Amino acid sequence: MTAAPEVLLPASADEAVSLFGDGTSVTVVGGGTIVMPEITYGRLTPTKALLLHRAGLDGVSRSGSTVTVGATTTVAALVGEAAPLGPCAANVADLEIRAQGTVGGNLCAGEGPEAPRGDLQGALLALGATVRSAGAGGITTEPLEEFLPKRSSRLVLDVSFEEPAAGAFAALDRPHAHTYTALAVSAVRTKEGAVRLAATGVGWWGTRLPSAEALAGDHEAAGKAALNDVNLHDDALASAWYRERTLPVLVRRALAQLEEAS
Amino acid sequence: MNLTVNGVEREVESAPLTPLLFVLRDELEIESPKAGCQQGGCGACTVLVDGEPRRSCLTPVVTVEGSQITTVEGLGSAESLAPLQEAFTHHYAAQCGFCTTGMIVAAHAYIEHGGGEDREQIQHALGGHVCRCTGYVKIVDAIAAVARGDSFDLTLTAPSHDMTNVGGAK
Amino acid sequence: MKAVGARLPRYDGIAHVTGRTVFVDDVRIPGTLWVKALRSPSHHAKITKLDTEPAERMKGVHAVVTHKDVPLNVYGHLSALGIPGDEPLLAEDVVRYKGQPIAIVAAESEELARAAVEAIVLSLDEQPALFDIRKAFDPDAPQVHHWGNWYPHFEAEMDRRQIRKGDIDAAFDQADTIVQGVYRPAAIEHVPLETQVCQVVPEPNGRLTIYSCTQALYFSMGVVAAHLQQPLNKFKFVGGTVGGGFGGKVDTATETMCCLLALKSGKPVKWRWTREEEFLCSSTRAPWHMEIADAVSKDGWILGRKMLTLHDSGAYCRFSPYGLTKHSFHHTGAYTIPNLSFDGYVVFTNRVPTTAMRGFGVTSVSFATETHLSRIAEVLGIDPFELRLKNANRIGDTSPNGVVYTDPSTVPTIQAIADSLGHELPGEYRAMTPAQREGQWLPDHLVSQLGNPEEH
Repeated sequence: MTAAPEVLLPASADEAVSLFGDGTSVTVVGGGTIVMPEITYGRLTPTKALLLHRAGLDGVSRSGSTVTVGATTTVAALVGEAAPLGPCAANVADLEIRAQGTVGGNLCAGEGPEAPRGDLQGALLALGATVRSAGAGGITTEPLEEFLPKRSSRLVLDVSFEEPAAGAFAALDRPHAHTYTALAVSAVRTKEGAVRLAATGVGWWGTRLPSAEALAGDHEAAGKAALNDVNLHDDALASAWYRERTLPVLVRRALAQLEEAS
Repeated sequence: MNLTVNGVEREVESAPLTPLLFVLRDELEIESPKAGCQQGGCGACTVLVDGEPRRSCLTPVVTVEGSQITTVEGLGSAESLAPLQEAFTHHYAAQCGFCTTGMIVAAHAYIEHGGGEDREQIQHALGGHVCRCTGYVKIVDAIAAVARGDSFDLTLTAPSHDMTNVGGAK
Repeated sequence: MKAVGARLPRYDGIAHVTGRTVFVDDVRIPGTLWVKALRSPSHHAKITKLDTEPAERMKGVHAVVTHKDVPLNVYGHLSALGIPGDEPLLAEDVVRYKGQPIAIVAAESEELARAAVEAIVLSLDEQPALFDIRKAFDPDAPQVHHWGNWYPHFEAEMDRRQIRKGDIDAAFDQADTIVQGVYRPAAIEHVPLETQVCQVVPEPNGRLTIYSCTQALYFSMGVVAAHLQQPLNKFKFVGGTVGGGFGGKVDTATETMCCLLALKSGKPVKWRWTREEEFLCSSTRAPWHMEIADAVSKDGWILGRKMLTLHDSGAYCRFSPYGLTKHSFHHTGAYTIPNLSFDGYVVFTNRVPTTAMRGFGVTSVSFATETHLSRIAEVLGIDPFELRLKNANRIGDTSPNGVVYTDPSTVPTIQAIADSLGHELPGEYRAMTPAQREGQWLPDHLVSQLGNPEEH
């Protein structure tokens, strides 16, 4: 029978980093909402399980206009934040799952078996967030776009972004508290006046929409242009056909919200 | 490791990654939280951890070491029912009963946190709890009744619900 | 009848709210083994090799059971209703749906049971699969079932459930217009909060105690006794506490297999389906394909109905012929149509066999009939309430299979709906009662279908 996993319980961020090493054979457990069912169903048999609940990696701190969110901050703790992050967090799962799932877990969520996960990626991409993470090569800080392709081999420590001048969030309604969101668009106007747009549900992880950003002044044109930035797919939540028709609508809505908020 | 369950300190031998649900059911023989899906998707496994509702099927037991765990057995008993237990009985809010313990635990937390009788707020708080039997109306009735401070005659059930306005149709 | 109309408290209410209700999974018996099943990964295949020895050899695995261990592997659960058996408890030489159980193991832990299942050697020769009931009748369709692609054992060995009443051709000749529609409700999962679960304890006196979540305790007892070829008094069924069933816990899907494992291992065993197993492998309400053509007069009488129903039974017939029969008896719904031509087929596909679910067989045609009537009202430009009241079942009317209505509630129900929606009905419709037809409510074409409610 498979041996019981070695359970690692770091009591500090430094200890967590050291125990993570380069991540080989380490299963990171944040809130457990994604990992625990995989273990229960026998699809994941960890050799080493790194549990982060005591590593002091939670909490939202502000320094000037920089907001830093610790990796084990729960999704629930972000519900009160301004758009896009607040409404994006409020739109994740249900009360109990939000209270247990973590930002780090959400960012590092692998592709689900039937649909993309990691809704917070969209909001944080729009916010221009950077990720501080540990792994091979030590602790690095990089923009979220560059982090996402290698998220499965890194240990998120925290995520930082500059408070925007305004933010917006538009998503397709979810039929039930436990459905993932089929499509969502986050929009941000930075203090410098630039518009940033990002979407989830348009690929297997969150994606910036630069073509739409370039035409942000013309909402209709921006909505159409967004289709150039994405590689839509069919999954259990929605078809590429459906997303092709609704993405421009959500882009327009997000930009309209952004204008109102500015 | 040690867990306090319903006010009693218990020593637990299950492996650290064992879901709390199975520690409670298999090791401690506290059967009220149920294994409905083992994926966090149904709510039947919900217990309180330091007063907060949590999916025990998703919670590695080592993460709640030293915490106060409360299940429905800790809220009341047949000899001394808690208001929510009386309300669910009087309002006929349980049919098969499988979702009931999770509902009551989550509702308890809702009321303790100051939740009121607004139906939308109740539905939002319990949005993660699935019931396949009742259609939810009487569950919301029961919780609203407790929020309102009603008292309950357990010798009979509440009168039939006037369904014409339930969906806000008018 | 002092209880009728009284607001009685549930007898089990207090147990439910205090967590004292004992569901099957709450029963604790020391030394209970975990059960897992080897299930077909293929929609349709011949089994060319099945070797359970690698699993049997594993330490901590106490029993492995295949079709060879089952005294009567194919037993028709509704053979008392004339429906022959077609479904093996455990697959023999062929698998016909993805998820079909082939072998079952009992082991000392869930993880070990899973590993034992994976250790079983299974080789399959893939066969073409059929998923669309409309294609089942094509000459080049894959052959799903040893009886052919549809059930051939209705009375007099008919291959369909057929109803003929009155003169359908005359009705179609006389009609002012024909209104057609095709209705295709999809399969529906029961999704009980409690998944399928069973515990069996072998007793020292040779009996078996079976903790079952079945909705039909005595029925399941009979099924188990028949598969095991044992007298009923060998079994003590403990049940009646069901965490939701809705028709999906009548299939006796776990009890017999757990008995076999308990007998072979000499130990208590428990099989609790995972939620994924429940979704992927448990039976569903059937998908249906219904084609309706109603002959109607321009003033809103439905003179005749031609109907074709295809019922998707999945890979085996289970209770489908019974469901289709009920469907046929109710195919005009709450309305009286005097001239009928109904043909219904129980069609086999390579899907999980379908089963009962609330209103078995009838909800499909209720949906189709109501939608179709609304369509007729639209086509004719007639108020949909008046159309329904006109054609509503009345005392003395007869159903498709000749039952005489003695107390039909269609008229007061439709009037109550109109009332609650604030929809004004003209005088004669407001005054209508379910009483026997007469005057303007008895046109010539409805005379011959009348029956005598006193003689019913």
